[in-house]
Amino acid sequence: MEYLSLDILSLHQAILEGKITPLELVKQSLEKAKNDQNNAFEYICEKEALEAVNRLDPNKQNNLLWGIPYALKDNFSTKDIPTCASSNILRGYTPIFSSEVYLRLTEQGAILIGKATLDELAMGGTGMTGHKGLTYNPWDPSHKHMVGGSSCGSAAAVASGIVPFAIGSDTGDSVRKPASYAALVGMKPTWGRISRFGLFPFAPSLDHVAFFTRNVMDSAIVLEALSGRDEKDSSSSTVAVEKYSQSISAHLNGKKFAVIKEIYDSINNRNIIASFDKTIETLKQQGARVDFVSMDLKLCKAIYPTYIVISCSEATSNNANLDGIKFGPRFDGKDYEEVMTKARTEGFCEMIKRRFVIGSYSLFKENQAEVFLRAQKVRRLIVDATNNILKDYDVIYLPAAPSTAPLFQGEKGDKLSNEYLISDNHLAIGNFAGLPSIVLPLGFDKGLPFGVNLTGKRFAESEVLSLAKGIENITQLKDLVAKEGK
Amino acid sequence: MKNVDMPLLKQVANNLMFDMKDSEYITLLEEFDVIIRQMELISQIPGVDEVSPMTFPFDVTTDYLREDIPTTPVPQEIALKNAGHVVDGQIRLPKVVG
Repeated sequence: MEYLSLDILSLHQAILEGKITPLELVKQSLEKAKNDQNNAFEYICEKEALEAVNRLDPNKQNNLLWGIPYALKDNFSTKDIPTCASSNILRGYTPIFSSEVYLRLTEQGAILIGKATLDELAMGGTGMTGHKGLTYNPWDPSHKHMVGGSSCGSAAAVASGIVPFAIGSDTGDSVRKPASYAALVGMKPTWGRISRFGLFPFAPSLDHVAFFTRNVMDSAIVLEALSGRDEKDSSSSTVAVEKYSQSISAHLNGKKFAVIKEIYDSINNRNIIASFDKTIETLKQQGARVDFVSMDLKLCKAIYPTYIVISCSEATSNNANLDGIKFGPRFDGKDYEEVMTKARTEGFCEMIKRRFVIGSYSLFKENQAEVFLRAQKVRRLIVDATNNILKDYDVIYLPAAPSTAPLFQGEKGDKLSNEYLISDNHLAIGNFAGLPSIVLPLGFDKGLPFGVNLTGKRFAESEVLSLAKGIENITQLKDLVAKEGK
Repeated sequence: MKNVDMPLLKQVANNLMFDMKDSEYITLLEEFDVIIRQMELISQIPGVDEVSPMTFPFDVTTDYLREDIPTTPVPQEIALKNAGHVVDGQIRLPKVVG
């Protein structure tokens, strides 16, 4: 039996009933990881995983994640396990401490089988810039389509059935967009819900821990395992953690959904719109209220530039510690400046350098008021507009992206179009406002998946998961695994 | 906004302690044509300067004092294990003063 295609609850039950042992399950997962065709991994933790299985405490086997294999994006620190964020400047780096996410999953009995690859330093949305090359979309065996990024390896590992869940990070849409491209559930909770201790910072005001599963219930289980205050992360919240997996209702009657018209109107793919419209009809039939609401078009068109200015500016500053001296490959030079310049020149890919230059430009003394501070002001206006909508609605409901997974060699498209500025980047609103936001499968177009997004009120994870479960019941798209050669 | 040209991009890159290939600077200069127009969209928002900049999604207050419990510091050997060139317990760099 192909156990790795099962959901977390079924795997847990199979382990409890003795149908499969954690060791057998982890060995199957490791074997699949070693035969991975999509370039999903930076490092396969074979030795560490087998040791971890041996250390499993049988008294904890009622934990839902006990003995369940998973993948962790390689920008989470793991003590004594190589962690390079897919960047040459961190080649050979082995952390001396572990991220809180890894510690909590280990405590629950989950078994790390591999560090998943990513767009370098979690910047980028294509899965093309990691130092090991392209990461492929498991739904396209011809390897012409991207799986998206930056959490490309985590998405590919879950979509291809290597693991039932994987951890990623989401600064603009880095889990939710790949989820849309790979028929997965991708969720980022409220900012502060999960500790970021040990996560390499990209843009801390936007960074979230996030995760991939193959159904909504599994997302609730993973969220429950990870959530809660961590005193090592002063931005983590003290708000009480709910029993998310027990509170899912899928009850839609009387629930209020808001569709932002300007975002909806910027999508040109008629198949995506048709599938989305169909769910609206069904939602209404089941007693939900779905209204089209408006957000100022100028504000919507500012979503992408606001994101790029804030994220690049924060990244420029946060990555100044990558100097090739304290860690990473050492280069010779006549002075420390030459040592650093050589390390950073050789260590960063072109895309990272371009982003740092954009960030530095935004922070110029001459530009700061006009570019950086204004972007932060526009962020406030977008967040206020979003929260105003959510005063009257339970969730904002939208297609996750305007297309299925793009081609690696496709046309670049118009980066000033409404489609690019708005619907291709609207998920960043969830990061601006720190709101819980989930993507789940909505349909397929020419064999490639596309998803739908729900964003709810701050700390209303239970509501978001419940309504997502309701949508999942409508689409009946869950537990999808891409099969090789299909 | 400050005018963007090739010398400026090279100066910014060098300030950031890296260099790029000539072809990469050309790509970046072309990219800035679009980025500047995208950045201009930020300034077109009515009332943009009437609100304060938002630096975080919302306030998270941390106001506890940690317990005064002695902990073992990271041993020197472990703290230095990722550095490329270590001599006598210190990271070695080229001399700053001859």
